[in-house]
Amino acid sequence: MEAGRLGDYSRRFFLRGTTAASLLSATSCRKIQNLLGLKEEHVLCLPPPNEEIDLISHAISRLSFGPTPSDYHHVKKLGVTHREAVNAYIEEQLNPQGIDDHHAQRAMRRFESLHAPLGEMYEYKEKHLLEQLTSATLMGAVQSKRQLYELMVHFWSDHFNIDVSKKDCKWLKAADDREVIRKHTFGNFLDLVSASALSPAMLWYLDGRQNRKRQPADYPNENYARELLELHTLGLNGGYTQKDVMEVARCLSGWTVRSKKRFFKGRVEFDPASHDDGAKVVLGHQISAGGGQKDLKDVLKILCEHPSTAQHLAEKLCVRFIADQPSAQSIKDVAETFMATSGDLTKVLRRVFSTEEFLTGPRGGKLKKPFELIVSSLRATRAEISSTANLIDYLVSLGHAPFQYPSPDGYPDVAAPWVGGLFWRWHFAIGLARNQIHPKIRIREAKLFQEAGGIAGFSAVLFGRKPTQEELMSFHRSGEPLAMAIASPAFQWR
Amino acid sequence: MIREATGIVSPEGGGAKTLVVIFLRGGADGLTMVPPIGDRDYYAARPTLAVKESDILALGDTHYGLHPSMEAMQRLFHEGDLSIYPAVGSDDQTRSHFYAQDLMEHGGSEAGGWLGRFMRFREGESPGALSAIALGKVMPEVLRGAPAAAVIDSINRFSLSQRGEPTSKIETELAELYGRDQTLMREVAKDTLQAIKRIQELSKKDNQPNHGAQYAVDSFSQSLRQTAQLIRAQVGLEAVSLDLNGWDSHFAQDTLITPLMVRLSEGLSNFRRDLGHLMEKVTVVVMTEFGRRVAENSSFGTDHGRGGVMFALSEGGGGRVIGDRPELESGILVGPGDVPVQMDYRAALKPILSHHGAGESFAKIFPSWSLKHSSQES
Repeated sequence: MEAGRLGDYSRRFFLRGTTAASLLSATSCRKIQNLLGLKEEHVLCLPPPNEEIDLISHAISRLSFGPTPSDYHHVKKLGVTHREAVNAYIEEQLNPQGIDDHHAQRAMRRFESLHAPLGEMYEYKEKHLLEQLTSATLMGAVQSKRQLYELMVHFWSDHFNIDVSKKDCKWLKAADDREVIRKHTFGNFLDLVSASALSPAMLWYLDGRQNRKRQPADYPNENYARELLELHTLGLNGGYTQKDVMEVARCLSGWTVRSKKRFFKGRVEFDPASHDDGAKVVLGHQISAGGGQKDLKDVLKILCEHPSTAQHLAEKLCVRFIADQPSAQSIKDVAETFMATSGDLTKVLRRVFSTEEFLTGPRGGKLKKPFELIVSSLRATRAEISSTANLIDYLVSLGHAPFQYPSPDGYPDVAAPWVGGLFWRWHFAIGLARNQIHPKIRIREAKLFQEAGGIAGFSAVLFGRKPTQEELMSFHRSGEPLAMAIASPAFQWR
Repeated sequence: MIREATGIVSPEGGGAKTLVVIFLRGGADGLTMVPPIGDRDYYAARPTLAVKESDILALGDTHYGLHPSMEAMQRLFHEGDLSIYPAVGSDDQTRSHFYAQDLMEHGGSEAGGWLGRFMRFREGESPGALSAIALGKVMPEVLRGAPAAAVIDSINRFSLSQRGEPTSKIETELAELYGRDQTLMREVAKDTLQAIKRIQELSKKDNQPNHGAQYAVDSFSQSLRQTAQLIRAQVGLEAVSLDLNGWDSHFAQDTLITPLMVRLSEGLSNFRRDLGHLMEKVTVVVMTEFGRRVAENSSFGTDHGRGGVMFALSEGGGGRVIGDRPELESGILVGPGDVPVQMDYRAALKPILSHHGAGESFAKIFPSWSLKHSSQES
């Protein structure tokens, strides 16, 4: 039944894609865009009609970077009941390939340096690469219809955090984003960890490239091994010891990456002479001597199959999608699916969204991190953006610029560290509503209000519920209702 | 709402003592900043990284010195303002940055930071809107739980509007809506609105450094400069948190941390000069989550260790080495070969917090540690 419905959706999206393609050959691009734009955006603005956040608004706010004015209608028509509609929406988002996203993809093609082969990345100025990568990340989050995919890209970028300010990461992070994070976002966890372990940027960031044992007196560099255990897999209280850290470091010794001074710069290679080839014991598992480069595969399998890893990842995903302090039951349920599917990330996510706590628990209780606040504002106001420069400045002021978190644990995903930033949230809201952020960032307040039925309807789009009388009165009194609605407490949460 | 809120800020912010906490994030290497003099084991463990004996800057007749890049701090020591703690640390055994930083900022297993709790529990009147400030991008753990705390990266940009048009009607409505909010944002909003008013007044006044202080242009030095500005403007500033990042020197340690040592040393010295006699009400504490492994690794770096250094700067309160670090013979090292923690950071902070008015509330600032500590004493 569920599979059948999914099939229908895929077909529908496929058909829409082909229609668009055949029309493209017949008439000009701009006309088509307007045609599709009209159909998608203008006719279909339906503000959420309830006083409280309903299941549809809840699902949109958690599976995306925030609703556009047409999202509520889009999800509602996917099913007869809210529950049915939300299930279909979840399946749609878990299958990004089935979503026609040509509009966003065309916009992404502008960032040409991000598509360059690894070695060629060194030919770009480092600032240019970071700016392109940050802009692409921001624009993807705003424009892509594959919202859950983009959201998970964001999640994994924090989980496998790389601060671009460290050495060659400036050039190599863009490849990590493409070949590690985006490639495996909905794939298998072991594949994701394995790709990350041999990612040139990660080998630079956590000093894996310096982890070598050439003489008996050499200490392996244990930086990556420690973060691999503590952050990427088992978690801090995952039951490993200092000895395990050192043994993992021994297993990974010898892997390195060519520096920019050499031919084939950025290439990852294994140097047997720098590898500690003795026997190791990791978390009680024997790894026999002479394994060479196979040690890496063996040790990552041991870590990824460990129950603490399932627990750690389940907890992080529940914190991401459910609550700052999710229930032990939700974590347990998700961890079980993680174990049973050997880390099939699509299935694990589906389990998160089917927990009782996600479906019926408290709503609107996750504070938007600054990136989410900015992206959700731009989505809700359908901002026309042809420069991201000042948006990136805001992210820096708010302490949430992508790829710039200074330590390997990634940006925190709970409310407390972020509440101090209200000043810049308000500053942004006022700037956006007054069209003062940048001459190349425009919103059309009159049109937004007209489609949504005034500030009341538009703030329902923003909040996922109708505004209260107090809120409405306050918006009016301020003289700048749009700025106030975006700056208001309700819009800070998702 | 706003009218009520501004009433809390005393019009004369003067009189407040200010505690500035600088966190060297990443685990700063105490054996490079404060090298031992005449310890053969040090040179054996650090064949490439040890500071040459002839380069070490002497600290009176103590058997410690300073790294040659820290001349300005040597001067502060000899002028009687700088104290040096050679083997400070926490009970953390994980050697994890995040866990060790959290532990040191939280002051134990408590939620919220010790500086935040100090602000809440210290004796005297309740703190004003500008009493606690983090100069940076995110709220540091150490300040969490303070009754008022603002995160700002530059006091010059402190207006809600891009082009300086009025936002007072919006501010009134923000006070209204956030004042009715049921979440942790309510207090933050109130403090933020007060801070906006206060700093707007401040930025109109003259803000050049005094007494010939010349700060470098990096963000750490500029944060110190702005801290001095806020202290001079007497807005009731009591707690400041700022970070100097980048001490995690697993690789090529020398090139990585020498510029940071210069920045720290010059920054403190300019800050001291800038404040002049106002320094009598200011203490600067410099801490790091842990020191580093005694033996260097194969990539000219060092790995995470235990005991590290701490510094305190206050007018006439220094010129001393506080506590001791044993010679580095292997029998004395802990774990995989680390400097033992000879003094808990909370013991080092105790007299400083007391000077800043912690009074009887020390046990509330470090509840779990104080409990253990007092039962050991009795």
